[in-house]
Amino acid sequence: MKLFRILITSLITLLAVICFAPTAWAFCGFYVAKADSKLYNKASQVIIARDASNTILTMANDYQGNAKDFALVVPVPVVLQQEQVRVGDPKIIERLDAFSAPRLVEYFDPDPCAVYETEGGVTRGGAVMNAARLRRARDEDNAFGVTVESRFSVGEYDILILSATESNGLQTWLNRNGYKIPAGASQLLQPYIRQNMKFFVAKVNLAEFQKSGYQYLRPLQIAYESPRFMLPIRLGMVNATAEQDLIVYILSPKGQAEVTNYRTVKVPSDAEIPVFVKKEFGDFYKAMFATAYTQEDKKVAFMEYAWDMSNCDPCSAEPLNQEELKQAGVFWLTPARGNNVFITRLHVRYTRDKFPEDLMFQETANRQTFQGRYILRYPFEGDARCEAGQQYKKSLGQRFEQEAQTLAKLTGWNINDIRKKLPVTQNQSQPFWRNIWN
Amino acid sequence: MLLKDIRDYQILFLSLFLILGIGTRDWTLRPELIVVAIVTCLVTQWLAERATSIAPHLKQNIANLLKRSDNYPHQPNLNLINPQKSTSLRSAAITALSLSLLLRTEHYSTMILAASLAILSKFIFQIHHKHFFNPANFGIIAAITFTKDAWVSPGQWGEDWWYALLFLGTGGMILKRVGRWDTTAAFLGSYALLEAIRNLWLGWTWDVYFHKLMSGSLLLFALFMITDPRSIPNAKISRLLWAASIALLTFILRNYFFLSTAVFWALFALAPLTIILDYLWTAPKFSWSFVKSNLSFSRRQQLTT
Repeated sequence: MKLFRILITSLITLLAVICFAPTAWAFCGFYVAKADSKLYNKASQVIIARDASNTILTMANDYQGNAKDFALVVPVPVVLQQEQVRVGDPKIIERLDAFSAPRLVEYFDPDPCAVYETEGGVTRGGAVMNAARLRRARDEDNAFGVTVESRFSVGEYDILILSATESNGLQTWLNRNGYKIPAGASQLLQPYIRQNMKFFVAKVNLAEFQKSGYQYLRPLQIAYESPRFMLPIRLGMVNATAEQDLIVYILSPKGQAEVTNYRTVKVPSDAEIPVFVKKEFGDFYKAMFATAYTQEDKKVAFMEYAWDMSNCDPCSAEPLNQEELKQAGVFWLTPARGNNVFITRLHVRYTRDKFPEDLMFQETANRQTFQGRYILRYPFEGDARCEAGQQYKKSLGQRFEQEAQTLAKLTGWNINDIRKKLPVTQNQSQPFWRNIWN
Repeated sequence: MLLKDIRDYQILFLSLFLILGIGTRDWTLRPELIVVAIVTCLVTQWLAERATSIAPHLKQNIANLLKRSDNYPHQPNLNLINPQKSTSLRSAAITALSLSLLLRTEHYSTMILAASLAILSKFIFQIHHKHFFNPANFGIIAAITFTKDAWVSPGQWGEDWWYALLFLGTGGMILKRVGRWDTTAAFLGSYALLEAIRNLWLGWTWDVYFHKLMSGSLLLFALFMITDPRSIPNAKISRLLWAASIALLTFILRNYFFLSTAVFWALFALAPLTIILDYLWTAPKFSWSFVKSNLSFSRRQQLTT
């Protein structure tokens, strides 16, 4: 029984320890970023650089409205001081996006009649690699139970760190201080307050913003220590009914990151698709993602990229240099610790009904690499009069059809519309009825 | 012969989950690692059994040899060397399958370490011929602690109802036959209750609660890991207490220490409690041969008490 007592005592001690996590949440339609995100209407982008329990979180911002209306409320695990907050370089998110975005790769079939011809007619070795860049007031008001834990300005932002004891009080306080909080938010604020989380509240200081000369609001970066590795997405869904896209770049010295309370699934990859897709890659990717999303019953997180950042093959953009990695929040680059940075790009499309819980993550030792990669194989265009050449030309029809079917399966597009865009082959054996009925 | 032993069902179901997992979920499951786990477990089990059965007899034979005198022409007792027939290879297979289902790693060496330590834990940590660590759980914790490339992916099953039902149905069936369903009920019940209280206090909507509980991994653990009859407390009351404490510790580790591997650590930390509980409440030790004789658990208890 003594053991029980020891157990109980330690449990109580444990209970007393409270720790926490970061977030980003969109109020009233403003908020975090784009995803080459320019593909998606409202995509948020977040970089999480994490080693052990140290975290630097970068919240990108693609707020398009009037800067004076901008407001951001994010639950954070601890009280942040001025030196823990800084304004990041917006380019860094574009760099990470470009580096990790799903990409097209192009291969050109060699001359089937050429002397160096190899078995099967096509070698990847001779291919030209051209990754198409996939576009990518210290007025504490105790009456409301709200305490201003700290107040400071960073760049063009005025920051408040609030703690609260009561959700209605916090809502009222925010409203009175000029933050438009949507109805129903207070109910969602309560769980965060009860978990003793603080609230990171940002507004734009117009004078500073005009002085800075920036066109857009720059990303905010916060550094903190907390065992909690999560992103609160619930607040952002307070009165949103539409699907929201979130792209999370997780940088870790260890390996792949994954979501622990939802499944993490790789996006379909390595498919050979018709070459015309090059002109409409954006549409292709969106349709393909939507199809995969629906097939997985809209409740999984998709992995779009996982790679060691020290190399990539093929690279769709130059790997980030040390300076850029630091800007992205990577803080463990010291000669002693080495240059180990593993990036995981997760794309989560969430809705209120399928993602009730905030996203929890974990880093794993899995160092397997993955990329969303789609292959265009250009047929050999020249004359191929030799026998092998004739064979090759004959085989093209079947190959194009195969690519068309793959494309239809991935995107849900109509196969006949796809067929119309295929190149005409020498002896394309179309059934006779297709000419009049399709 | 086949399916005569309860453990054959467990082997069947765990294999089914593995096949389903490989077929329908894009896990980082690798068939060659599964083979490594199975081979390591079986070989370790066999070697360890031989070693434990030979050791005392070997000692006796050596002693006899030393005592040899002309009056006693020595005949080595060969019967003593004859190892007992291996009866636990099934258990070893179950351990291997559990490891394959739950533990992820990139290297064979890590899986070999986990599997061999899992089996060896049965022979090293035992009191009155009863081991108190769940072998697979021990292997998982050992791999996570001693290597840098092992991890557990708790989210991989997703929360599909289909899986939940499959687990519940088949697990329940097995448990009914083994007679340890009370452990599962106590664990899941207490855990669900604790999470419900927390959910209510935090003010989350109930879909958050259900999403949290609808985890395939949690059910897999509750149905197949903490019910291993050989390593859990013998008496019903101690099993209930034991399962509830594991639930409490899991709850704390998960919600206040944010450990994604909370259940495994909770079971590992509280496994030694079995000894104390068995001491406090004595009950017949579980034996697989009992089950084979088709006696219900309650009947067995009547017979032995």
